[in-house]
Amino acid sequence: MPSDEEYAQLQKLSDDYQPEATGPLVGERQSSSAITTEYANADLVYRIKTAALPQKYAYFRTCRGDGHCGWRAIAFTYFEALLRAGDVNKFDEELCRLQSMGNLLVVAGFQEDLIEDFRDEALDLLRRLAASERSMDGTSADLLLQTFNDYGASMSIITYFKLLASAWIQSNPDDFVGFLLDCPDIKTYCQQNIEAAGCEIENVSMAALAEVLVKPAGFGLEVLYLDRSPGSEINNTFCIEPTNQDGVPVQNAPILRLLYRPGHYDILYRADDFPSPVPQPPLQVALAGYTDEFVPMSSNLSEVMTMIPGMFPTGLGQRWPSVSYYDSPDPAPQPQIASVPTYVPAPTPAAPVVASHHDFVHSIHPNHVDHHQPPSLHNIQLEPPVTLPIHHAPPPAPPISIERTPSMSIERGGPFRPSMYELEPGFGSGQVHPSPFQTSIFRNSHYNTAHFMNPEFQPEEWSPDSEYATGNRGRHKSTSS
Amino acid sequence: MALSSNARPNGGATVAGRLQKELMDIMTKPTPGVTAFPDDENMTKWTATISGPDDTPYANLVFKLSMEFANNYPYVPPVVLFKTPIYHPNVDFSGRICLDILKDKWSAIYNIGSVLLSLQSLLGEPNNSSPLNGQAAELWDKDPAEFQRLVLARHKTPEELDANAV
Repeated sequence: MPSDEEYAQLQKLSDDYQPEATGPLVGERQSSSAITTEYANADLVYRIKTAALPQKYAYFRTCRGDGHCGWRAIAFTYFEALLRAGDVNKFDEELCRLQSMGNLLVVAGFQEDLIEDFRDEALDLLRRLAASERSMDGTSADLLLQTFNDYGASMSIITYFKLLASAWIQSNPDDFVGFLLDCPDIKTYCQQNIEAAGCEIENVSMAALAEVLVKPAGFGLEVLYLDRSPGSEINNTFCIEPTNQDGVPVQNAPILRLLYRPGHYDILYRADDFPSPVPQPPLQVALAGYTDEFVPMSSNLSEVMTMIPGMFPTGLGQRWPSVSYYDSPDPAPQPQIASVPTYVPAPTPAAPVVASHHDFVHSIHPNHVDHHQPPSLHNIQLEPPVTLPIHHAPPPAPPISIERTPSMSIERGGPFRPSMYELEPGFGSGQVHPSPFQTSIFRNSHYNTAHFMNPEFQPEEWSPDSEYATGNRGRHKSTSS
Repeated sequence: MALSSNARPNGGATVAGRLQKELMDIMTKPTPGVTAFPDDENMTKWTATISGPDDTPYANLVFKLSMEFANNYPYVPPVVLFKTPIYHPNVDFSGRICLDILKDKWSAIYNIGSVLLSLQSLLGEPNNSSPLNGQAAELWDKDPAEFQRLVLARHKTPEELDANAV
């Protein structure tokens, strides 16, 4: 029989037990289908809700569950929203604004010499991000992520934001006193529930932080709640609309989104929070590249993911192409389409060029000569795919026939029976169409399925000479990895 | 992308930097009744003293404490122990202290000075509702004279402590 003392010891061990938090303090942005996968074997409510999640919120970022995740998530997304806002001057505005709040902290009774280290870390990050944006070195996103994965730096910034929230509550007590349950006074509440180093964010401090940090910056804040409550989607529990200084709602302002699962916060994004890559010079799209880059996805899931605008088959859990911020003038690491040199149409008929690549142009069955069938590898949308239905069950796709004018069909004698692997007469002889199938999302990318309808489509020819001469392709690949 | 950040141009606030700054503050603005000094150059262990407040059973007594700082200080509290034996409701016989700001109510804006001042006031205002030393908590109100006697019986001056240590 253990003695009382041993029991007390065991109880103490049990009380003090904290599971070791793992993972990066702030993770890389990844597809939110990873959350769906995470709950694949969970309760039905979770399965339904997480299955619907990637449609609305395409990406997420993990925060380490060390008790600071809520603070860290807001702090990180605040800086990230400044990057997303795409205006370098915004950094200066925020720098001035935060500096001007020194008084707020003094009034709340914080000693300057104790808070200056924390504040300086936050202001210093603003300065460094602004410098990085100005110099257009394209490293600002990495700089932000690195800083937040430095324990000292991210804890300093979190502490500073905690102090701001505490000071805000203390200087606007009337807004908050009604929400402070059984607490002797505001000062004690703030000391015990906000300033304490180990305390997690709760509704009052989140509201305060939104008022002091997020709103004045012109950003919105949403907290999406994933739990077992009935419903088919995650709930929006906390929402602050982006407004300007006069309280007028602002359209298209960055919105900070957190995913809340009881006891833990992560960061959530909509797909359009990170627009497609910066405009590329027009490309004559290479059909040859299509099969290489679009097909070989092993799982159904990732195949579907490749059809989402702006996403590329880098595989789940990997880093997305580093064009994270469309304002980021990052010239080097563009997705692979960037490395395809612009195709200059050869003046001569290009029939020999495409000897092995014209597979997809002709019809399959002899009795269907007036129909052309694209390869049945994908569920192809014939209309410009502005948003693809990612909730579709992935292929087996029904082959889609494309109506062609009867005059395109060929009647022919000779020893050859019609084959799907042959060119129509006159293929490639016409002018290269300027860009009739350019869409806002895919532009002239060979990802654009609209090109299946283009009879004059010119695949790119690979030429070793040009490759070694320019070195473009190799260099791009190595820097973009 | 590597997440290590040793290449940061200005470096983050480090534990050593923060403690260096605190030492500077303590040296330039000494607080009466309180001392603190690092044990060696790496600064992670300090020795501090507080003197018992007047009008308490601890008046005119000096208590020696050890402070140890983890590498994620100031985001976790220092480990503080009484080195001088003390008879107090919130200190056990090995010198461990029960004080909320040294546990879950610790804040990064506390420092060595504020910890020592809090301990000093804890001497005169024990928290008798959650005692580590139940007998002391009981006697505090019931029998101040006996309490005083036990405090003095248990106390050792720094000189006696040093003599025992050798």
